[in-house]
Amino acid sequence: MVHVYEFMWRVLHVLLHIHRTFITLFRIRLRNWNGQLWSRALAALLVPIALSFPKQKKLVPAPGKRVGRRYRWGADGKSLEKLPDHIGLLIAEEEPRYTDIANLVVWCMAVGISYISVYDNHGVFRRNNSRLMEEILKQQQELLGLEGSKQHSVEFLSNGTDKQDHQVLSCQSVVKVLSPDDGKLRIVQAAQELCRAVEQMEKTAKDINVTVLDSLLRESKTTPDPDLVLKFGPVESTLGFLPWHIRLTEFISLPSHVDVSYEDLFSALQHYASCEQRLGK
Amino acid sequence: MAEWSKIPPNVFSEKGSVPLSLQVEVLKGVSEFFNMSWIREGELNLIEKLSANILKAGPMPKHVAFIMDGNRRYARKRHVERQEGHTQGFDKLAETLRWCLNLSIHEVTVYAFSIENFKRSKDEVDGLMELAKQKFIRLLQEQENLEKHGVCIRVLGDLTLLPLDLQQHIARAVVATRTHNKCFLNVCFAYTSRHEIANAVREMAWGVEQGLIKSSDVSEALLGHCLYSSNSPNPDLLIRTSGEVRLSDFLLWQTSHSCLVFQSVLWPEYSFWNLCDAILQYQLNHRPLQKARDQHREEQALQQHEADRACVADLLQHHGNGKPLDAQRRQEALLNYTASREERVQDFLGALQHKRDSFLTDLTSQAALA
Repeated sequence: MVHVYEFMWRVLHVLLHIHRTFITLFRIRLRNWNGQLWSRALAALLVPIALSFPKQKKLVPAPGKRVGRRYRWGADGKSLEKLPDHIGLLIAEEEPRYTDIANLVVWCMAVGISYISVYDNHGVFRRNNSRLMEEILKQQQELLGLEGSKQHSVEFLSNGTDKQDHQVLSCQSVVKVLSPDDGKLRIVQAAQELCRAVEQMEKTAKDINVTVLDSLLRESKTTPDPDLVLKFGPVESTLGFLPWHIRLTEFISLPSHVDVSYEDLFSALQHYASCEQRLGK
Repeated sequence: MAEWSKIPPNVFSEKGSVPLSLQVEVLKGVSEFFNMSWIREGELNLIEKLSANILKAGPMPKHVAFIMDGNRRYARKRHVERQEGHTQGFDKLAETLRWCLNLSIHEVTVYAFSIENFKRSKDEVDGLMELAKQKFIRLLQEQENLEKHGVCIRVLGDLTLLPLDLQQHIARAVVATRTHNKCFLNVCFAYTSRHEIANAVREMAWGVEQGLIKSSDVSEALLGHCLYSSNSPNPDLLIRTSGEVRLSDFLLWQTSHSCLVFQSVLWPEYSFWNLCDAILQYQLNHRPLQKARDQHREEQALQQHEADRACVADLLQHHGNGKPLDAQRRQEALLNYTASREERVQDFLGALQHKRDSFLTDLTSQAALA
């Protein structure tokens, strides 16, 4: 009898894998469908029109069009009821594509998001920090043009540098590259610091509370916690992303960051704008 | 309790005897209240059993965490009192625990009351505290049932924030079921993850103050052992109902590599099929998450090794006679240091467990005297 169940389980999972591949191949926007797995499966099977989606070629737009797009992106940002102050881009895929990530960062900047964090759970971006930064600057020129790049300046924060509280230029964005070390390891380091202070009689155990720990873990007094994390990839987990900071973060999943479009990003932002946070009340 | 809200307010103001139909309603309500237990009795029907057996052919989560969201929205939808929504939510919890046992899931953690929820209206908070008190009292009356199922109840959170009588009831329930080990129910009450992590750091600092550990002994593993959930493995699967897609300060440390499933169904409407859907998601994510967890564990072990090595190098520098030791001596010193660190840590954790146990037994003896 056990073998029968095992066989049926295998059949079930093969069907699910086929279903998943089907979705990935035809890029059906299922993230809005929160219904039962079977209703999703049925719906997917009933949409043969998906077959007619051709692969779209990326054209380099004329400079005039660039300006138009830049203003549209800015207007889009202003049209939303709420925009995240700090967005996290969690890449849960094995092969990161730097150009696509750079595009996402530039679009976030253009839409008006002030703080952008990029994360992967292998620490690949952290190790290739400079390559990512170069790619972002390149895409900034490409997508926003020279004028736009001047207007939307970007500040890169690497580990250890404090964001200076100088006068903020209009549309300045801060980009930070994160790795798992910024999560639990950072909390442990803060704990060690506090315990050392106790060892040296500078503090007592009773002095330690949420506020004290939070101030140690905060990037700077002005950096907000991530309001929204966009997760790219099939894995349903935070994969160690900043455990302390994500207590009220909204998580929106997107199938992949490869060939991601502005529309994908914008619809995620629209979804975020409609979320209601009651904060315990 | 369910029937009270249906009684029209002017009934009791009339002189004379209470009508028979009303008496029946009252008795029904009272008996319903007393029949509500923490784990619903019952078995799965045929189709459910079949599906459960198919699922169990694959990897199953051993520990599932629930954020039981949607009670108030359910109450609005059904046009009943908020309190009724919470009561139905509790019923659904009892049913879900039954399903988990049927699916051989032996550990469940639920988010019952957040420290943030104290911000709600006094009426609602008092209502929730009263509901909790009734449930814990009921629990204590069901000792045999709990022993039969081997249920161990743990309450995670800052109990000192709760009214004293509730603290005492909780302490009695936890102490009474402490030795049971067939299945575990962890109820997060007066809990937020940040408070839990800050408390863990405070406990480690206490350890340093008491001279039980050194600040260099602080590690990810040690912090994990100082959390309220230290006696449980990390949840394999976290389910949140009602369509919200955030963690709301729940088990942030413990769920960093767990499978997260967000479902739009409201908690009081949760079904066996919703649970199966979540488990299916867990099975699809099982391998990549296992890989990520293993990788993280390896990195952790490496970091600990490096930290130990640095400490040994430091010690040798300070206590040595200036001559560099050969590789074998250094290796020996490293092994000795690691062993002594582990012993220190074990003693500290023992002292911490004793402190926590004493807090609970003190509460129970207070309750006994009262």
